[in-house]
Amino acid sequence: MGRFVAVRLFHALIVLIVVVVLVFIFARLMPGDALLVAVVSSNIDVDTAKAVATLRAQYGLDQPVYYQFFRWLTDFFIGDWGESIGTGEDVLDMFLERLPVTLQLFLWAAVWAYAIGIPIGIVGALRRNTKTDMALTTAALIGVSIPAFFEALILIYLLAVLLPIFPPSGFVPFGDDAWGNIMSMAMPGFVAGTGGAGLIARYVRSSLLEVMRQDYIRTARAKGLPESAVVRHHAMRPAMIPVVTVIGLAWTGVLGGLFIIEVIFALPGLGRMTVDAIFQKDFPVIQATLIVASLNVLLVNLAVDIVYGYLDPRVRVQ
Amino acid sequence: MFSRILTGACATAVAVLGFSLIQPLPASAADATIAKQPWAKWDTDGKPVRGGTLRLASSLYIGKMNPNHWPVNDWVTLSRFMERIYINNGTYEPATPWLAESLIFESPTVAVMKLRKGITFHDGSPFNASAIKHQFAWITDKKSGAWTAGSVGPVAKIDVVDEHTVRWTLKHPWAGFEGMLATAPGYAMSEKALKGDQSALDTNPVGTGAYMFDESSPDNFVKLKRNPNWWFAKASGNPDMPYFDNIVVSVIPDPAVRLANLRAGKIDLLTLDKSQYQIALKDPNLRVVKWPRNAMSGLRFNTTKGVFKDIRLRKAVSHAIDRKALIAGTQFGLGRIASAMYPGDHWGHNPNLKPIPFDPALSKKLLAEAGHGDGLAIKGYMYNTSTGTIVAEAVKAMLTNVGIDWQVELMPPPAAAEKMKSLDYDLALGGWSWIFDPDRMATGLYHPKGGFNFGRSNNPEIIELVEAGRKEIDRKKRQKIYWKLEEVVYNDYQDVFLWWEENAIAFNKNVMGWDNDAFLTYKDTYFMSHHLWFKDGKQ
Repeated sequence: MGRFVAVRLFHALIVLIVVVVLVFIFARLMPGDALLVAVVSSNIDVDTAKAVATLRAQYGLDQPVYYQFFRWLTDFFIGDWGESIGTGEDVLDMFLERLPVTLQLFLWAAVWAYAIGIPIGIVGALRRNTKTDMALTTAALIGVSIPAFFEALILIYLLAVLLPIFPPSGFVPFGDDAWGNIMSMAMPGFVAGTGGAGLIARYVRSSLLEVMRQDYIRTARAKGLPESAVVRHHAMRPAMIPVVTVIGLAWTGVLGGLFIIEVIFALPGLGRMTVDAIFQKDFPVIQATLIVASLNVLLVNLAVDIVYGYLDPRVRVQ
Repeated sequence: MFSRILTGACATAVAVLGFSLIQPLPASAADATIAKQPWAKWDTDGKPVRGGTLRLASSLYIGKMNPNHWPVNDWVTLSRFMERIYINNGTYEPATPWLAESLIFESPTVAVMKLRKGITFHDGSPFNASAIKHQFAWITDKKSGAWTAGSVGPVAKIDVVDEHTVRWTLKHPWAGFEGMLATAPGYAMSEKALKGDQSALDTNPVGTGAYMFDESSPDNFVKLKRNPNWWFAKASGNPDMPYFDNIVVSVIPDPAVRLANLRAGKIDLLTLDKSQYQIALKDPNLRVVKWPRNAMSGLRFNTTKGVFKDIRLRKAVSHAIDRKALIAGTQFGLGRIASAMYPGDHWGHNPNLKPIPFDPALSKKLLAEAGHGDGLAIKGYMYNTSTGTIVAEAVKAMLTNVGIDWQVELMPPPAAAEKMKSLDYDLALGGWSWIFDPDRMATGLYHPKGGFNFGRSNNPEIIELVEAGRKEIDRKKRQKIYWKLEEVVYNDYQDVFLWWEENAIAFNKNVMGWDNDAFLTYKDTYFMSHHLWFKDGKQ
């Protein structure tokens, strides 16, 4: 198992180095003068040319490209990720402040997704081809198909404007007001979770159906075990392998996938930060985000591989 | 006998108290300059009541809260806790002394400024001549990282004459001097704070404004609290101003969600997205007003390369566009048909110029005269925003009607900036926002050294007028120059001027004190001097 992990880590490191170089190059290749656009859009009457020249020097963009690269690389690894052109904040601080918000949203989404999706998937598999199965499959499909922004706006109208149960938007930190935090995350978490619930339900159903057809399940039944014990002790664990993959895939896509929800519900999270940075061509944030996202993918894939190895010993041998 | 004296004293006290409730407190000698201003009337909408928290929404977090550090994304909120030396009047002239009391030019390059007395910063330090001198020395010091340093370049030196008198010496006659005092470098900064940890001012600002900074959470909110020692409250005879105890500005990026918050009673006042104007008008719980904005939307020609060197083709394009239909169809009725580059309520606008009439028959005739009777193919770009897209589609359709095929690309602003720089267009997105000093736009668009020209316009008469306007410090003469400039630009069809912008804002009906007619007349000055309150002092 140790050698298995070490080999995976080495591969991840090689990929990371390539990503770092490519991120820098692609960020510079994006067309357009972001500082010029930013100054013009700044809603203040100033001498544009002089302001842009001052800012270009401030952000080191008047230096040769190779100098910019090495300066950025060395600064990055000592924790100086630069300053955002769009907000003026320290980029590392931006990540650290916004990560908990996105994590909370992701956790809420995961709770909703698994709390709804797994039971639906199990019932659907065990009551295959019945009316119950068809109804649940349809519900799962609807959950996957409804666009998040549409669902979000409908819920805001119904549960915040017409019936003022939840706040329409905004984030309250848990430390400031625990109940306020729960109320502010309830709707966004539900919207984020319903799409995932449908997906998980379908995965669990098909995976469980596949497992239930295996010889060892027939053997378990032949031994006289009740069906509930067969499912719980013999079928669930191998059926969860693809579901674990879904967790990994979901987390790697968290930045982009939750962006719409973060924007609509005005949650100050990483997803919203990232897309704002892309539209503003906010170099420091884009570079840091791409590296963190790549690291995210590498680490999650590594974690998934390790969990696979634990769940299925045949993977380790291979 | 003692009881009679006491009774008499009480009666006198009650009389004085009663009198002071219905009359403003007497103004000091300095305050007379405020009392005689035409906008210094506060007798509409009933008696103000103190109390409550005003809840607002913004699409972006404020960013840095030092106006000389990049970026500040919300100048409206910043203006609640920081104030400028001069502010703009109803025609966008920097003609209203605010923290200053007066400015007199002893010569074209030397001006003496008197500052108002009795103003203190939120940290208790005084606003005085020494603070002004220190602030501008700090701005021009490279170590300060002030992005506005270039804007104060023409200032040679600042001398402290006495505690409240400053002498400015300029390197050359500078028509934009007062304009500079009404923009970013003109926000007064505490000398005590600048001598301390300057970077703290980015997140814990110190100003002189009606509200003081309380707390903030990046990308989430900014909270302000009432300044009980606001100088203007005393100087104007409105000691209870400002009336709200707090202001909270929440960041809500999506316009539909901002409106949902307003309708759910979670915010009190909102600048509407244009598409929401008609919806808000129908809501019985909201009061909706509209006002002009100092921005012009238009299209720019490349007049030095390509087909639009020919003025007949520029005329053909301009007459092919139905501006009224464009405003109605793409701006939800919010916009004023533009006749020229400066908005109709701007002091630089020539009132004798009329909007270019919609005349597709004339367009076809001009196209034929120019040798393009069979059609004309041109290229360009617009922003890929929802507004940019529908305007592009509408204009494209209008041009197609007269035989002009406009190959318009939709792209994000940074990519559009590249196209603009390389002159890779015939007709493209134009216009200008935040038109205060007329030189910015004139130089930017039509002078060879302008930041948005890049060689696309090169008319000698226009260039001469731009340079003359920059140097002329007499206001009346300067106005004549800009009127002439507008006329030359107009007659040469240098660009297509489509509309001057309008905004709509919606108030919860509980919010009192907004006189829209007064705002239209005095604009920035009204906003700074007149404060809102809640009916009964509660949300």
